[in-house]
Amino acid sequence: MNTTQTLLASLLAAGLCVGSAFAETRMWTDVQGRQVNASFVKIEGDNIVLQTADGSFHQFALTRLSPEDQAIAKAAKPVESVTASDSSPQFLANATVSQAAAKVDSLVVKGLVKANPERAKAGKPPITGWNQPANDEQFVRRVYLDIAGRIPNYDEAYSFIKSSEKAKRSQLIDQLLDSEGYKTTLYNYFAEMLRVKNEFEADNVRGTPYIGWLKEQIAMNRPWNEMVYDMATATGKMWDKKPDGTYNGAAGYLLRDSGMPLDNLANTLTVFLGTDVACAQCHDHPFADWTQKQFFEMAAFFGATTTRLNGKDMGGTDPMARLMTGIEPLVAKAGLDIKTIRNGLQNYIRANQNAVKDRAMNSTKLPHDYKYKDGKPGDPVEPKFVMWSPEDKGNPAYKQSKKDEEKLRVSFSNWMTHPQNPRFAMTIANRMWKRAFGSAVAEPVTNIDDPNNASNPELLKHLASEMVRVKFDLKQFMRIVYNTRAYQSEATSENIVMGEKYFFQGPMLRRMSAEQAWDSYMTLVLGKPDGYKAPLQDLYAKSIDLNLETVDPQTVLIKYDAYRKIQAKERALMGGGLEMAGGDMMMEEKASKSTKKSEASVMNDGPGKVLTYQGMSLMRASEITQPAPNGHFLVDFGQSPRMLIDGSNKIGNVPQVLTIMNGKAQKMLTSPDSLIFRNMEAVRDPSEKVERMFLTIMNRKPTMNEKDIAKRVLGAGEDGYANMIWALINTREFMFVQ
Amino acid sequence: MKSELLRLNDANRRQFMLNTAKTVLGVTLLPGLSSKMAKAAGTSGPGTPGFGKAKHVIYLWMGGGMTHIDTFDPKEGATKGFGDRIKAKAEGIDYLGGYLPKLAENASKLTLIRSMTSKTGVHEAGTYIMKTGYEPRGTIVHPAMGVWGSHFLGRIKDVTLPDSVVINSGSAYPGAGFFPPAMSPIPISNPETGLQNIKPTTSDSQFAKRIGLMNEFDTGFRKKFQSEDVKAYSEFYDETLKLMKSEDLKAFDLTLETAETREKYGKSNFGQGCLLARRLVESGVRFVEVQMGGWDMHTTIDNSMTNNGNTLDTGFTALLLDLEAKGLLDSTMVVLGSEFGRTPDINENDGRDHYPLAYTTVLAGGGAKRGFTYGASDKEGRRPADKQTSPSDFLATIGHAMGLPVDEVVMSPSNRPFTVGDKGVPVVDIFA
Repeated sequence: MNTTQTLLASLLAAGLCVGSAFAETRMWTDVQGRQVNASFVKIEGDNIVLQTADGSFHQFALTRLSPEDQAIAKAAKPVESVTASDSSPQFLANATVSQAAAKVDSLVVKGLVKANPERAKAGKPPITGWNQPANDEQFVRRVYLDIAGRIPNYDEAYSFIKSSEKAKRSQLIDQLLDSEGYKTTLYNYFAEMLRVKNEFEADNVRGTPYIGWLKEQIAMNRPWNEMVYDMATATGKMWDKKPDGTYNGAAGYLLRDSGMPLDNLANTLTVFLGTDVACAQCHDHPFADWTQKQFFEMAAFFGATTTRLNGKDMGGTDPMARLMTGIEPLVAKAGLDIKTIRNGLQNYIRANQNAVKDRAMNSTKLPHDYKYKDGKPGDPVEPKFVMWSPEDKGNPAYKQSKKDEEKLRVSFSNWMTHPQNPRFAMTIANRMWKRAFGSAVAEPVTNIDDPNNASNPELLKHLASEMVRVKFDLKQFMRIVYNTRAYQSEATSENIVMGEKYFFQGPMLRRMSAEQAWDSYMTLVLGKPDGYKAPLQDLYAKSIDLNLETVDPQTVLIKYDAYRKIQAKERALMGGGLEMAGGDMMMEEKASKSTKKSEASVMNDGPGKVLTYQGMSLMRASEITQPAPNGHFLVDFGQSPRMLIDGSNKIGNVPQVLTIMNGKAQKMLTSPDSLIFRNMEAVRDPSEKVERMFLTIMNRKPTMNEKDIAKRVLGAGEDGYANMIWALINTREFMFVQ
Repeated sequence: MKSELLRLNDANRRQFMLNTAKTVLGVTLLPGLSSKMAKAAGTSGPGTPGFGKAKHVIYLWMGGGMTHIDTFDPKEGATKGFGDRIKAKAEGIDYLGGYLPKLAENASKLTLIRSMTSKTGVHEAGTYIMKTGYEPRGTIVHPAMGVWGSHFLGRIKDVTLPDSVVINSGSAYPGAGFFPPAMSPIPISNPETGLQNIKPTTSDSQFAKRIGLMNEFDTGFRKKFQSEDVKAYSEFYDETLKLMKSEDLKAFDLTLETAETREKYGKSNFGQGCLLARRLVESGVRFVEVQMGGWDMHTTIDNSMTNNGNTLDTGFTALLLDLEAKGLLDSTMVVLGSEFGRTPDINENDGRDHYPLAYTTVLAGGGAKRGFTYGASDKEGRRPADKQTSPSDFLATIGHAMGLPVDEVVMSPSNRPFTVGDKGVPVVDIFA
């Protein structure tokens, strides 16, 4: 059998219907009044073919339908078979997850077949099919790490492995997609992609409301196009409160790069549209078609926007002078020396000038060193969208008004997030695919200007159309991806060299990300790490916010005092020890939720204690300062410093290995107080203890050989368990995701 | 390590195709790109004065923006600070700020550049410029000087120690920049405790047992997944284990110094950091940065200068004398820099604010002239009056002393061209 036949055979064996296509469903009624919800496929002779939601086809005599439905069927257009419209696979709205996953798999298979000639040239053996299906132990660990960002705890791993439920994998995927872990993991991904930070460049400006906003959007499963639209079009301060009670955190996207609007634009195009134009910021792009002029034409959409308000933006008067004149006598009256606090106060007030505002004039000009023939330095620049191909001219995404200079950002965002924008859906689909497989269909994800360069261009296009079909519902998109046979295969064990195309015979083997490693440690310590949240999220926004046009000096002083107390308050909330972890001893919500809060009582809310171990706050990575403080486990493990897009690394280094071998986190796991030991205490027999230890740390049972090793080790002395825990956590198997 | 280089996944594939793997990994393409650099080409390079004399560099980093007028460029008249200047004991240097008596006494070892000028009064950006020569961008990170050293001169030899170390900080930022992360300096947050987590939490024999067990449990996985990533990770374990057992680690141990020596440097983190820097340099480390904070003196600068001045004066002087006594000052360049100077005018809070237009840097040893002033600020310390020097020039000068080809263009993995310190011209006048 040749390779193609083998592949197709394995596909059929897996019960995947490559040839199915899906029309809209309706309720069909037969002559006896019985009803079925199905979509029309075709009429064949005297028979009708319908497809039900589970994907199966049903053929029966047309006359069995009610007369009205017979008429409808006769008028309906048959759905074209997929083989006929192979090049542009079309899905209609009601494809089930398993159907959609099957379609993706069929395209992966085609890519695998096509890959072999190229592999042969590189001296690599042909791919004969998917990797082996991952076993339950491999699957449960991977799917927890990928979706929930951590390894499963003992109960979670054990119950999945022993379950004989046929659909347990798709059920677990559904369950995890609805878990807290899904939110925190997707947040980590976007925080890295968007370079989210707690401390912005300007004094006292924290990313807290931006971080909060991102987490809320993810929790609501807000469609991606809407999220991006909000970020690009937000106006005002991050801590402005909106009518629905939420904060205007979306403004954080532009404020993050306050003072660097061109860099911000370059990042916008790179992150959301997969086009790397950073070079064109300074000169014509050497390896792409983008010119410097085009870059500035794009920048012109933000040319009327400021991220730092001046007096003119705030009613024409200088609020600083007004407030300081009022504040100084108050300070003197309190017996304080204004000299020691003036600078701090001014910085505090100035933080409120960090706001996004559209002015009446687009002020974009060509740079002073512009050297091309199509313009002179200092020439004003009109906004204009880039095109990737001549066909883009007729694309509806491009039909945006550019007249109103105060609304240029809106036009830009309408264009960028339009379902038919040539790159928007493709970029996020490609990125989401990479999250599951470790490699994108088109690499690098920051530059997909030429989709035909992808390892599997048909797959890339299909994923983009799927992203549109699910209406940018990222959770639904990922549900499809995780349900593919391709994803549920074993990790690829062959070495993949940089720059080599990857064809998705299974996911790539990957080292855990810094966040996955930390959150897995947290799982080993806390069992269920999601109950522990960062305190005081709200406090910052409340105490920093001043309406500079109306606020009075007295209020400024009161709020400044509250603001300065936040840190002391945050420190006070760190407490609780290891022994409090894992059980029902979750943080207790303080019951001080009075409905009416005065300015002065901003300190009185927020949750209770956070558990700590030798100075480390035991919480998910997403709850810790972004990026984590210097010297933190996360930093040693390559967490992004949040300076560059996708700035993390998974490379080993000496401090990292020292941390795993000798660091505080290690001590915590091998201490008798650790949850691993407490899991083991539930059983008495040493071999059962060893099995629990393996299931807790590695999410698999020990092999015969490992049981023998354990027996030997336990025979040798007291520290046997601690030594084994240490050893398991230090294995490559622990640190790499299969 | 080659396996790390293989992980540079984010290199643009199309650009990757257009270039050889060599250029992607940061190898020289186009020497002498601009006319300004052509000028540099004649003054730097092998055989030119001072080139390559500094086998080691100790960069004393004054975080927060060191006031120039109260330290190395004292003024009389309108902008005079709270303290009186003192006469420097050196032919080529007139006065130092009154807070630095010990340095004034030893000024014959110093070269001052009093005509520094930079572009930004923002801490982060100013710091970045003074460490890389480049303005910070949202799209690339540039390497620190020690990493440029590793790139051009290779890994230091005969020791298991890192090429560069940053003391008194948990962060090596900007670290390796666009070069492989493994080239990043090792940060030492506290000179007293040295390398974090370097000692096992158990006895050596139990630790050995644990390592053995780790390898046993991991056999199956390593057999199945023989990828470069996994191997590279194992190599880091080997390297770390080697370091843990290494005699070279003694370089980090300040308790091996006499109480008298430790006293001389001052009890501050900065002073002890200077001592640690000397030990590291002695053991072969190429580039050490020692950080000292507290220079952001917006209010009551007289108090702050009394404290900080003494700390700096004590540590810096002890370092110079110690290096000289050990015969290391000719091969070690000690430089002192800060993100900017401070406003000549005392503000309403008796302090000084951020001021990038004029400030001073200091160089000593490693081929620099002894007791020399290069350039000058105007009478009130407001603008460079003579021989204006940019952060790029300053860094090119250090690069020149280290023996780096400062005019060579290196392509980043994203295929953008960069040079040591961003096309600065080395100030060769400062070399003896």
